[in-house]
Amino acid sequence: MQLIRHAKQHLNIWAILSLVFVAVILFPNLLIGFKFFTEPNENWEHIKFYLMRDYINNTATILIFTAILTILIGTSLAWLIIMYEFPLRGFFRWGLILPLAIPPYIGAYTYHGLLNYTGVIQTTLRNTFDIQVNQSYFNIMSTQGAVFIFTLFLYPYVYTITKSFFQYQSASLIENAILLGSSPTSTFFRVALPLSRATIVGSVTLVMLEVLNDYGVVSYFGIQTFSTAIFRTWYGMKDLDSALKLAGTLMFIVIVVLILEKMLRGRKRYSYASTKVRPIHPKRLKGWKGWLLFAYSFAIFSIAFLVPLAQLLYWAFMTYETIWSQAFFQLAKNSIFVASITSTIIISIALIIANFTRMHQSLFTKLVSRVTTLGYSIPGAAIAIAIITIFISIDTFLAKWDTGIVLRTSLVMLISAYVIRFLAIGYNSVEAGFEKIGNTFTEASRLLGASTIRTFFMVDLPLMKNAIAAGFILVFVDILKELPLTLFLQPFNFATLATQAFKYANDERVQEASIASLLIILISATAIFIFHRVLEKKEAN
Amino acid sequence: MHVQIEDLTFQYRNAKTPTIKNFSLSIDKGEIISILGDSGSGKSTILRLIAGLEIPQSGTIKIDGKTILSHTHFTPPEKRGVGMVFQDYALFPHMTVAKNIMFGLRNMKKAEKLARLEEMLELINLKDFKNRYPYELSGGQQQRVALARALAPAPSLLIFDEPFSNLDASLQEKIRGELRVLLKQTGITSIFVTHDQADAKALADRIVYIKNGTIERIVSSTSLTFKVNRAKEKVLTIQ
Repeated sequence: MQLIRHAKQHLNIWAILSLVFVAVILFPNLLIGFKFFTEPNENWEHIKFYLMRDYINNTATILIFTAILTILIGTSLAWLIIMYEFPLRGFFRWGLILPLAIPPYIGAYTYHGLLNYTGVIQTTLRNTFDIQVNQSYFNIMSTQGAVFIFTLFLYPYVYTITKSFFQYQSASLIENAILLGSSPTSTFFRVALPLSRATIVGSVTLVMLEVLNDYGVVSYFGIQTFSTAIFRTWYGMKDLDSALKLAGTLMFIVIVVLILEKMLRGRKRYSYASTKVRPIHPKRLKGWKGWLLFAYSFAIFSIAFLVPLAQLLYWAFMTYETIWSQAFFQLAKNSIFVASITSTIIISIALIIANFTRMHQSLFTKLVSRVTTLGYSIPGAAIAIAIITIFISIDTFLAKWDTGIVLRTSLVMLISAYVIRFLAIGYNSVEAGFEKIGNTFTEASRLLGASTIRTFFMVDLPLMKNAIAAGFILVFVDILKELPLTLFLQPFNFATLATQAFKYANDERVQEASIASLLIILISATAIFIFHRVLEKKEAN
Repeated sequence: MHVQIEDLTFQYRNAKTPTIKNFSLSIDKGEIISILGDSGSGKSTILRLIAGLEIPQSGTIKIDGKTILSHTHFTPPEKRGVGMVFQDYALFPHMTVAKNIMFGLRNMKKAEKLARLEEMLELINLKDFKNRYPYELSGGQQQRVALARALAPAPSLLIFDEPFSNLDASLQEKIRGELRVLLKQTGITSIFVTHDQADAKALADRIVYIKNGTIERIVSSTSLTFKVNRAKEKVLTIQ
């Protein structure tokens, strides 16, 4: 009886829809997990004996070195920006986040264009200074090159997250250490670094997940990793089963990374309980010391943002007459269309699930939350292969009934994949929004006789406007930049800015990729500006 | 008996011991009850259980002879006919005073709704404020709007969670007196939760002392104490 009463209380439209969505998200993951243990074919034996070692080596090398370098650059910049006042600090504070607007694959072909034999650097050296350089120093198409690219365009994850930790969470502890006579350097190593360990580990995990997700950089550079292998096994060998097994192995690496994160974070969770957190008052550095910090910040900002941007602008001027055409507008339209539709779907699903988990706090709803955010850790290549497998089955099923519908050739497949991968981003925004408004307005509304649905539309939704807008923008930008899923799941005769730019670059027409790339960067940079500059100012007031 | 609560037991999911243990209470129509206890005594939880915002492990609640909670039955909060004034009022920040008060009025003609709104505004003496937003009101005004909003749908029971904790001391005493008059005027059955002895004494017909989730004792306020309080209030206003 108790059970029936509980069921009556919990089983409503929100619960049912949430369960359906969670099942849909879980299914591709279970498929990969299941296929991992099925009987392998000969291809798999071949891959395992001859290729696997390379995949693992390359993936691990890139992963480890990118992690180390992003930690070094990210935390050092965060510390210096928070602690010291130096020329243009106000700009660098958020300007150093801007490299995040450049997707690594765009960075990769831009830097290749800059550094190769016909690129502007070598040409200048040759023609103006008559210097012939050793080509191997300038060859970026290597694992080192990939590490360089990933570090430049992904360090902002570590920088932003660590910076806000220093600023809001540990300000008084750091100031206290200094008042107790600790020098800034020893404060950094003895106080700030140990305090922020969990934060740094968390942020570098995001970097590593991005690296594992990448297909564009490694494929353009011709490096054998799991992402490239999955697609080659599927496209080249038409071997879905082995591709799924590779995806399973890749997911295993992801799980290892996530377990490492948990272990390195440790049991210690430092979060400062005080509600009144003052930001640190930075120390003014005069003379050459100040300019040294300026030089460091400016150097990173230049190579990670200014230089590639200048190169793209230069190419854009060279090619805009041929590129700026009807076809280009069609691409932009496609990108914006698919990104808007998907963002709307994602935010709607996120609202439903978040509303469900907040209404019924239990172990089960915690699990639902976890599954919802699972997709973001799964590399695009793995999702793509699982989705393809599922849609082949669906289409075979539909063909039996002579419906004439083939989902594989429609946007449905691509959008489903996007939803699985990016639901986490929308969900986090929406969940934060719900947390901010709290439960009392909802409870008040229900006690005034409004059902959960009426409450949702009349009370929750209007109060959540900002969180919803924020979530929408974040998802929209991520989809605009997305490459692996779009590349492999887009319908025939359909391309987006991202895939077309990548195609141009691969066809040795990198100049023609510039305008599409610039448009992606412009939109992403605007979003970054809104979130970090405008919102930070609002918070400060 | 208007409200009958029997044997209510409730334990939060992660708690080791029950927050509420075998709580029983009967309330007459029109009676004002104060539940008095220290923080952590479980007094607010009782309100949440009556309102249907939490589900108890056992117990029954009847209002007006209708069972709203039993072993086999759970009426959701929106169908209980219980009005609540929240500690922080929970006025919808995106709606005007008028919209807030009319939120709970459904299945009514537009004209009836407007008439009810006017009636409520008159009651709380805020006629000129109906187009203001909650943040444009003082704490005392906000509380009156919250009261009007809860009263508007004519609930069979009105509950208050620490209604005075957000008001400054001088305002508290004034509003307390007003509130008792207002509640007696409408004849509504109400339950207050408070940690303040003076609040309880000034408002309630009966005071329920609660400790560790069980009732310690129930005391009927004599009419004398009220007279004393009334006199005090008069003195205060004259000064």
